[in-house]
Amino acid sequence: MRGKNVQLENVVMRFGDFTAVHQTNLEVNAGEFFSVLGPSGCGKTTILRMVSGFMEPSEGRVLIGGEDMTGKGPNKRPTALIFQNLALFPLMSNWENVAFGLEARGIDKKTRRNKAYELLALVGLSGQEMKKPSELSGGQRQRVAIARALAVEPSVLLLDEPLSALDLKLRQHMRAELKEIQRKTGVTFIFITHDQGEALTMSDRIAVMKNGVIEQVGRTDDIYSKPLTPFVATFVGENNVLPGRVTNADKDFAQIETAHGIFRGRNQDSLKPGNSAMLFVRPERAAIVNGTTPDNAFDARFERRDLEGAFVNLHFRLGDNPFIVHEANLRLHNGFDGPIQLGFNADDAVVMASGEVNDDA
Amino acid sequence: MHSLIRSYGKPLTSLFVCLTAFWLLVMIALPQAFMIEHSLWHIDRDDQLGMKIDRAYSEMGLVEYDLKAAKTEKVRAEFQTRIDALKAQIAALEAQETEPPKIYGIHNYTKMSELHFTIFLKSIVFALMVTVLALVVCYPMAFTIAKLATPYKAALMMLGLIIPYAINELLRVYAWLMILDYQGVINSALAWLGLVSFEAKTWVPFLENPGSVFVALIYAYVLFMIFPIYNTVETLDKNQLEAAKDLGASTWKTHMRIVIPHAKPGIAVGCIMTFMLSVGSYSVPQIMTRGKSGDWFSQLIYRQFFESQNWNTGAAYSFSLVIVCLAFILIMMKSFKVGIRDIAK
Ligand SMILES: Nc1ncnc2c1ncn2[C@@H]1O[C@H](COP(=O)(O)OP(=O)(O)OP(=O)(O)O)[C@@H](O)[C@H]1O
Ligand SMILES: [Mg+2]
Repeated sequence: MRGKNVQLENVVMRFGDFTAVHQTNLEVNAGEFFSVLGPSGCGKTTILRMVSGFMEPSEGRVLIGGEDMTGKGPNKRPTALIFQNLALFPLMSNWENVAFGLEARGIDKKTRRNKAYELLALVGLSGQEMKKPSELSGGQRQRVAIARALAVEPSVLLLDEPLSALDLKLRQHMRAELKEIQRKTGVTFIFITHDQGEALTMSDRIAVMKNGVIEQVGRTDDIYSKPLTPFVATFVGENNVLPGRVTNADKDFAQIETAHGIFRGRNQDSLKPGNSAMLFVRPERAAIVNGTTPDNAFDARFERRDLEGAFVNLHFRLGDNPFIVHEANLRLHNGFDGPIQLGFNADDAVVMASGEVNDDA
Repeated sequence: MHSLIRSYGKPLTSLFVCLTAFWLLVMIALPQAFMIEHSLWHIDRDDQLGMKIDRAYSEMGLVEYDLKAAKTEKVRAEFQTRIDALKAQIAALEAQETEPPKIYGIHNYTKMSELHFTIFLKSIVFALMVTVLALVVCYPMAFTIAKLATPYKAALMMLGLIIPYAINELLRVYAWLMILDYQGVINSALAWLGLVSFEAKTWVPFLENPGSVFVALIYAYVLFMIFPIYNTVETLDKNQLEAAKDLGASTWKTHMRIVIPHAKPGIAVGCIMTFMLSVGSYSVPQIMTRGKSGDWFSQLIYRQFFESQNWNTGAAYSFSLVIVCLAFILIMMKSFKVGIRDIAK
């Protein structure tokens, strides 16, 4: 396998007295598709630039394949970066763009031409070699950028939100394509995005960042089903939040008193009675009560229904607290008048110590 | 035109158009046309003219004397016709003397002496050298200001470049004169170090070397080189520099393949301006050489106009220079593959 692992050891990055990345330890395995996910300004690009060598960390060090990268510039590292705006060279043809890294290494024209044509074929751009990047569509330009980065045979490919400029359809297509290229080449991908859906569909593992701190690192399934902090719980996927205070707790479950009733959920943070806490339950884990009563049941006021296709989003309110339920689109969900009884099982909900949630959704 | 009328209305638009036309005609076309016209004729002054007139007069005196001595009517009539013919000849000659005929042709261009032609070529070569030197000096500066310096430092550097331009060009050139003079700043410093001596006149004669003119010309025209280059480099996406570096390119490679191709229009404009200004500069060579080393072509033209009063030759010389500049522009455009549009930008 070509990919190498990347380690950040006690890395800190400061700009003046502003700390963009707080002390971070992170290991990206060789050959995995790793995403760094977080809202705008949280320090994702900063982390990427420290790995690629455009910035030296203020503290700590970066290792690639076990080798200390301190003091090595971007042209001395086994990494290749795909820029947010691609940064293709507009005056060169596509094949010259792809061959530029080889040209910089002093490889003769015939060899680098062959290699460039080969890589352009790999990304599905045969026949476009002589065109200029400006003569291509957005998705095609994307592929040229990928081919150009792969031409230098990097062990680690760094991608800074490369899909953000594309429209939705193309973005979904490119996701699959990137994943396929990663599988074929075995190169370690570190992919930066603020789109949680993108991170979930593509990655093997994800690091979720907020304000310069990595809040959680884990496999995509774990990030989704076992979020460790309120921020991760609300930033990755949708979650209903019910804030309150713990009234009763044991090793496994905690009971929390909210403005809208008392609920039970898993006691993830070993909370004690009196702790201020939040209960999270995914919309697909809650349901309209129909037959057997679940562990938690409560009345809510129906607000509206959003049709998503295969499922519907039912928006309810408990007082001023919004509550969403996903239901499979198997029947018409309308004509609710008056309070509706909703419910969820304690196993499907989690109680965490209060913290900052993602509120720009 | 229609959009102009739409945005400014008819009266204002016609005013704009008239002013533009006036400018084009009076400030650009007319002086050039006048110059070209002058360069294409010369006055054919016959050096023998005075003598010819004198000879005709003395001949007429003789014939008149013969006329008085003549006996027969027939002979008298013969002398009379000769006198009339001579009178007509004298009148024609005198007319030619007071108002010599203009002769059109390329005579003014072809009669350039070998010495003048050498100076002409030398000036072009010198101007080319100044242009290349200015480019070598200005490109790194423009790049540094545009891409490497922090905004604050870039502003300071820009200011440092512009402030000298608030001072009259002549003063700036005189400053260089003082620096490079026999007993100027540099020689004084050398004397202080004991390397030269004023008494023994062993100073370094900087001013007798065309290099001193080069230095002053480059100094006088740096901005015309820096600004166009700065403007184009400025528009280069910084990510492209980083991408090149990330792909393993050396600084040299990045400049050759990314920055210079991008900055080509700016480089072409800078070279054109510097070349035209240096080849046509009169004051800089005049002040810097103080006539101690050979003339530049611009000084020659000045002489034709204001010392020899030979406007026609002067016009032809100037126009030759214009043609050289036009040729230079075309060559730059061809070799840099930039269009007139890129340059206008
Ligand atoms: N060169 C710099 N000098 C000063 N501050 C910087 C610099 N680069 C980044 N920052 C700051 O560091 C923080 C993190 O920036 P970074 O570019 O890593 O964010 P990001 O997560 O990539 O955001 P986005 O999704 O918007 O690209 C921001 O607050 C930014 O203002
Ligand atoms: Mg970023």
